[in-house]
Amino acid sequence: MTDRRVIFGRAIALGLAWTVLGFLVLPMAIVIPVSFTDQYYLSLPKENLSFEHYLAFFEKEIWIDATLDSLIIAVAATTAAVTLGTLCAIGCWRLASGAAEAVRILMLLPIIVPVIVQALAIYRFWIDLGLIDTYLGAIIAHTLIAIPYVMITVSSSLTNLDPRIEQAACNLGASTAQTVRIVILPSIMPGVLSGALFAFTISFDEIVMMLFITSRAVYTLPKRIWNGIQDHLDPTIAAVATMLMLLTLLLLLIELWARRRKQARMSAVVEEE
Amino acid sequence: MTGALRLKYWLLIAPALAAMLVFYVFPLVQVLWLSVTEPYPGLQNYERLLERRALHRIWWTTLQICVMTTVITVALGYIVALAMTLVGEAQRTAMMFCVLLTLWLSVLVRAFAWMMLLRGEGVVNDGLITMGLIEEPLRLLYNRFAVIIGMVHFMLPLAVLPIYSNMTGIEGRLVSAARSLGASPWQSFRLVFLPLSKPGLIAASILVFVFSLGFFITPALLGGGKVVMISEYIRVSFEETLRWGEATMLSTVLLFSVLLSLGLVARVVDLRQVFGAR
Amino acid sequence: MSILKTAYEKDLYPEIADAGDSEFQRDCVEIAATKLARGEIDRRGFLGALTAIGALTVPGIGGTAKAAADELVIVNWGGPAVEAYQKAFGAPFTEASGIKVVVDGTGPLASKIRAMVESGAVTWDVCDTGAATTLVLQKADVIQPIDYSVVDKSKVVLDYAYEYGVANYLFSYILAYNKAKMDKVPTSWADFWDTASFPGMRTLRKQPNGMLEAAMFAAGKSADEIYPIDFDLVTEKFKEIRDDTIVWSSGSQSQELFRTGEVVMGNIWHTRANLLNQDMAGDVVWTWNEGIVTAGMWNVPKGNPAGTKAAMDFIASAQDPADQVKLFLIMGNGPANPAAAALVPEDRRFADPGQPDNWAKQIKQDARWYKASSGKGDLTNDAYARELYIDVMSG
Repeated sequence: MTDRRVIFGRAIALGLAWTVLGFLVLPMAIVIPVSFTDQYYLSLPKENLSFEHYLAFFEKEIWIDATLDSLIIAVAATTAAVTLGTLCAIGCWRLASGAAEAVRILMLLPIIVPVIVQALAIYRFWIDLGLIDTYLGAIIAHTLIAIPYVMITVSSSLTNLDPRIEQAACNLGASTAQTVRIVILPSIMPGVLSGALFAFTISFDEIVMMLFITSRAVYTLPKRIWNGIQDHLDPTIAAVATMLMLLTLLLLLIELWARRRKQARMSAVVEEE
Repeated sequence: MTGALRLKYWLLIAPALAAMLVFYVFPLVQVLWLSVTEPYPGLQNYERLLERRALHRIWWTTLQICVMTTVITVALGYIVALAMTLVGEAQRTAMMFCVLLTLWLSVLVRAFAWMMLLRGEGVVNDGLITMGLIEEPLRLLYNRFAVIIGMVHFMLPLAVLPIYSNMTGIEGRLVSAARSLGASPWQSFRLVFLPLSKPGLIAASILVFVFSLGFFITPALLGGGKVVMISEYIRVSFEETLRWGEATMLSTVLLFSVLLSLGLVARVVDLRQVFGAR
Repeated sequence: MSILKTAYEKDLYPEIADAGDSEFQRDCVEIAATKLARGEIDRRGFLGALTAIGALTVPGIGGTAKAAADELVIVNWGGPAVEAYQKAFGAPFTEASGIKVVVDGTGPLASKIRAMVESGAVTWDVCDTGAATTLVLQKADVIQPIDYSVVDKSKVVLDYAYEYGVANYLFSYILAYNKAKMDKVPTSWADFWDTASFPGMRTLRKQPNGMLEAAMFAAGKSADEIYPIDFDLVTEKFKEIRDDTIVWSSGSQSQELFRTGEVVMGNIWHTRANLLNQDMAGDVVWTWNEGIVTAGMWNVPKGNPAGTKAAMDFIASAQDPADQVKLFLIMGNGPANPAAAALVPEDRRFADPGQPDNWAKQIKQDARWYKASSGKGDLTNDAYARELYIDVMSG
């Protein structure tokens, strides 16, 4: 079986693949050494490593304020998106009708519609509503674009849930609200958690919409970075970028853990049967 | 299920549905509407699409960049996905981790990293000069080259996932059978595995193409204002020249191009599975 | 949809787009704020400097507050030194006239002025706009003619005393270059276009305003042949240079491109060139030769709450050359009063666009041309030029 050509072909494929993955990850890693530079401009550290640019981040109001703005909006939008998205996914799952399927597809729209088009549309509508440059406007916008991700993760959790559980709960006299709260929600928790992580990331990193619907009163971290990149490239941005990478890494690890729990739960169900 | 119970479940759907219809679908429809009513009713905005040379050029630039990005991304993505089917659990997890990490990373951070690498006084040029390979810094940033690199980097995870998901569904026994019938490894790959992985390839191509069409951040930062794709032009139309008619017309055309492409891909693969793979 | 409830009225009046001159004023505030933060100027200096353009916000004075008849509301582009500026700017005029001065930093967008006048809820008395915006507002019939029996025409650089607006300061598009990175010194736009003799990246503005004129010069036109801009000719010229060009979209970005060594030359605002000169130990310098000078202008909306007389009195008091020089020393905006030229300290005269020597080398930007019809559909020259410019630069 150990055909040399097979071994050779596999080696080439692996070598190429890791090269491509290197292209994917290594350029991003450059941000880390630059963030520790001892120079005041963007460069690799010359003499020794320095934390001054991290200190600068925590000392400068503009960065802290922007981070807070982003956190406020992301937390609020995540809460709203997870609530709306989860309920909607449960409803669609239980109804399992053509109309419910149509709703599910409709909810995917924000992933599909080009970001500039939705920014334009929402900007225009927000003018009429007086929501430009308000926290509420930003939160609603982010909720809308985060809902599809919650729908996807929660729906995928639900496909593993036996609808008979829900029927059994009903037969035992549970109300719909009780059924959802006591029976359904606990079983799809990992999916909800994944959805929340996605929603948070989407909102925390979102920039295009913010460029249009906010100006001075609401100033998120991505907008601060965007302006920093254009107007004043300095190592503080590298420090921020490094911290964002760590945050992403952390969220990804939590998500993978949630996913694993979901799988573990699934296989447990299979074993029981 | 009884009608009353159905109604209760519709009530679960209602808040999200209402939010989406009022705050998302309605504004979108308004954009479509404005494209035929601004500044006065008629199709004059669409006539501009045919008449104005500047618009032809923008679409042409956008198409060129999107096609190049798609071809490169899907080729690279195929290699990664293929390798993932060939390796053991541990290595596959490592590979998947690289893909997911990049997928999750902020688009701004990624563009920023590329800027640091490609700048005139950036890491790549500094390195090449220190090694004595070049004397003058190469112009790597603020051009089409930089935009395509940035876009391929952004899209790659989106290509790997559907291709890989499709490949895991391919029966390994078919390839083995081809081998036992005397096909060389290359032949069995080309004649059996490649055609079977075609749906994944097509799905990935259209997905990458569709997302590239509406790309905004990467061209704006890495293109130095000189690589103007359709999204940037829409921004100029409504932010700078304040021509809502033109901006909404271009948005409408862009939106329908995307929906049409996705309609095509939906015939080949299950879209929900593709998006769900994220 | 209601006009009053909209936040961004500019969207309702696409036909009265700001002529691009508002961006410069915002940039000035940014420069002053940076300097103040770095401790290069003290608060007193900051106040004095802003006197001539009035760039302050008083918290609580929003667009909806109705200004009382005994106070005058000046509208500008905002800034960080809010209450301080109020003292410096309000005091002298209040002392002379008994009228309290309130400065609103919401930004006098042309579309906002129009929305305000048409809805009859005018809360602004004097607005800081630009030459082109003045013409736009005049055409929209929402501002008052300047009363030249009160405002002194002789205190304004020639030609910038418009019927409906009067210059409060000058600024120029000039050729700046990093002499440390060049063997030869460029002296004209023709040199700027000569990529063989002057290698290296250049930067041009993202909008064509101020770039078209440079291209005409580069094509060999003399100062009196610049207008009307020959669209075909400038298209050819931009094609020649686009591969060697990065574009800037904000004043700070133009500075950043020089600072990080991405470009060796650029067509940028003289205020930014001046800052670069200080920041980079004199490496970046500029020539006034073939510079394109234009003006910031005061406008008075129709039906302004404090009445025409108070507004005109204020404009007249802001013509004080000493105040204009203070502004120049900190932010670089050129005094619009020719009498100020002599008050500028010797060693700073090189940076003043209005100094006779510098003035003679430049051309005045023709705001009227920008607002004229291009003959291409319903587009003004300004709108057509923007479309053409994007097309050619991204080609």
